[in-house]
Amino acid sequence: MSTQDTIRQQVTENPVILYMKGTPTFPQCGFSAGAVQILKNLGVNFAAVNVLADPEIRQGIKEFANWPTIPQLYIKGEFVGGSDIMKELYASGELAEMVADLKAE
Amino acid sequence: MTPEHVQSLISQIIPCEHIEVEGDGHHFYATIVSAQFDGLKLLARHRVINDGLKSYLDSGELHALSMRATLTPAEWAARQQ
Repeated sequence: MSTQDTIRQQVTENPVILYMKGTPTFPQCGFSAGAVQILKNLGVNFAAVNVLADPEIRQGIKEFANWPTIPQLYIKGEFVGGSDIMKELYASGELAEMVADLKAE
Repeated sequence: MTPEHVQSLISQIIPCEHIEVEGDGHHFYATIVSAQFDGLKLLARHRVINDGLKSYLDSGELHALSMRATLTPAEWAARQQ
């Protein structure tokens, strides 16, 4: 399976998935730490992929969404954005709306 | 790269009514106000800037740009009140 196929499978199988540097417990970048904090504040379960542990995913994820930076958040298979966009959508309440039906499960 | 340089690069991508860039040479923070953002969602606005800066981001010349806000002139005016 190609890297792009692996990523497609990951974002399809996990309703909320964060590609980040480090792990939710030990983020290795301030922007990734901020992204984890937002998802924790929302109280939603999420999968996390540590791109530092996989160079192919690290490069591949930038190509997958044509987005140059990490972290990257996907909800229900769709690319939501990076750290700045997560912050803005969280502040406006839109991010909470996007995951509202997932929390109920 | 200086904040002034980053500001000039962004101004070449889109006409800006207002632009502020701060940074330490590695991480930059921008507030960008442009009529070109009208009708675009947040993700699309960021893409306009990221695509325009792609060669600088890819080469590592520009390490990281954080967009604090991407606003239309009307949204900017509303925020000033």
